[in-house]
Amino acid sequence: MSVQAERYALRPWPRRALARIGAATIAGTSRLLLFVSFATTVAIAAFRREAWRVPVWVEFKRVLHGVAVRSLPTAIVTGGLMAFALVTQAIYWLAQTGTQGLVGPVIVIVLIRELVPILVGLIVFGRSGTATLIELGEAHPRGWMRLFEIQGLDPLALLVLPRAVAFALGSFCLGTILLASTLLGSYLLAYGLELIAYSFWDFADLVQRSMKVQDFIVPPIKCIVIGYLVALTCCSTGLARRDDSDELQRLVPRGFVRSALAILLVNTMFDLVV
Amino acid sequence: MALAPRRSVLSLHGVTLAERHFSTRPAHLDLELPRGEVALVQVEDESDAATLVDLCLGLSDPVGGNVRFLGVDWQSSTPRDRFARRRRIGAVVQTDVWPSHLTVLESVLVAHLYHFKQPRAEVIADATELARLFGLPGLPVGRRETTPQRALVRAACVRGFLGSPDLIVVQDQVLDQSPDLAVPMAQAISAARDRGATVLWITASLAAQAAQFVQANHELRLGDHGLVQVRRLR
Repeated sequence: MSVQAERYALRPWPRRALARIGAATIAGTSRLLLFVSFATTVAIAAFRREAWRVPVWVEFKRVLHGVAVRSLPTAIVTGGLMAFALVTQAIYWLAQTGTQGLVGPVIVIVLIRELVPILVGLIVFGRSGTATLIELGEAHPRGWMRLFEIQGLDPLALLVLPRAVAFALGSFCLGTILLASTLLGSYLLAYGLELIAYSFWDFADLVQRSMKVQDFIVPPIKCIVIGYLVALTCCSTGLARRDDSDELQRLVPRGFVRSALAILLVNTMFDLVV
Repeated sequence: MALAPRRSVLSLHGVTLAERHFSTRPAHLDLELPRGEVALVQVEDESDAATLVDLCLGLSDPVGGNVRFLGVDWQSSTPRDRFARRRRIGAVVQTDVWPSHLTVLESVLVAHLYHFKQPRAEVIADATELARLFGLPGLPVGRRETTPQRALVRAACVRGFLGSPDLIVVQDQVLDQSPDLAVPMAQAISAARDRGATVLWITASLAAQAAQFVQANHELRLGDHGLVQVRRLR
């Protein structure tokens, strides 16, 4: 037992409990601050031209292809399923209560402001975040992080920066696709079920009229920030694995919990601030 | 007129190698490697060899003494400076280590393309020429898993010698056990030396066949008394 632990053991239990809470709070806060400084460093580096060297661009394109193009079918299918849920729940109940005029505001609030950014975050994590976790989770145990350092390759520039920017841009693209496919799918379904009788253009007009200026700005930014934070969470979780004693199988659940927390936290922060 | 002293590319002054696996005594190292010289250093324990590489390349700081690369102490450099300064070093190390997300070709080229603004086609041409010197028909383009071990070792040599590094560090036991690399390694080292590069080859045994044709200026052995000059039997 360490000297500090022995000292704690001699104290009465309320003080021990307080000490534990304090220690956990300090550790959590320092971890959060470390993550914030990490996110800020990457953001600053992203705006520096010299950071975008040839291999960084190559890596960026590879990851962006994985996030935006290879996740496209998943986003479209998710959009279709969301459309089904939207029609069977929202539009159906609005039609039942004779308040179809509220279709626009409901879609704007539920879909555009809340659901799309959260779902995009989950899709990005599932499709590309897990791959990043496993790739970077092997960097230290397989020895190629040391090799990168020997070669003078900055892991922040070569591994984290392209992933963070690609995830952010990819999330914006996926958010747009997800939204478009959900709106189109829900209209077709509602029209097919004769829940609504107006044209698609009237439907789009209804949705657009319910949108405020910030609805054109905030949800896309939310998607970008969520994608950025999912990437950083996956990168930091993966790179934190130092050796094989930390099993690779435990990395994905850990990354999922952290990414899900980041997604929900960003969503809540935006809701509170904007 | 007196000739100006040649500036050392790599110098170790009173460097303490404290945590040694097969010795309880720390070793104190002194080494001066001027431009264009080759040193063969026998370090039996692989862990000590890796520690020595880390010290020479500024990956870790010595407990005592200092390590200078091109006259600058690694300890006086910021982490960012260290990364930038390592662009002038080629390393044939960890021949079995290849990043999982890159092909072997990309792994060979990545450091050069990252540090220098040479067109990709030119870098590929240089790398292919080196690959042929090491007995490959060209650069392997597949992933690590699908590339034969023999080709990986040779590709690692290309990775280390590519470009015009001021210092080339060689340390890998797999390489030591590849006698068919003796001639290409000697040729590559000779070419690098003619260009003015300094070579530090840390080997498990000075009798390693891979190093048999290398013309070394210094032949040393790491022992409890530090680096001692030895004579190599051929």
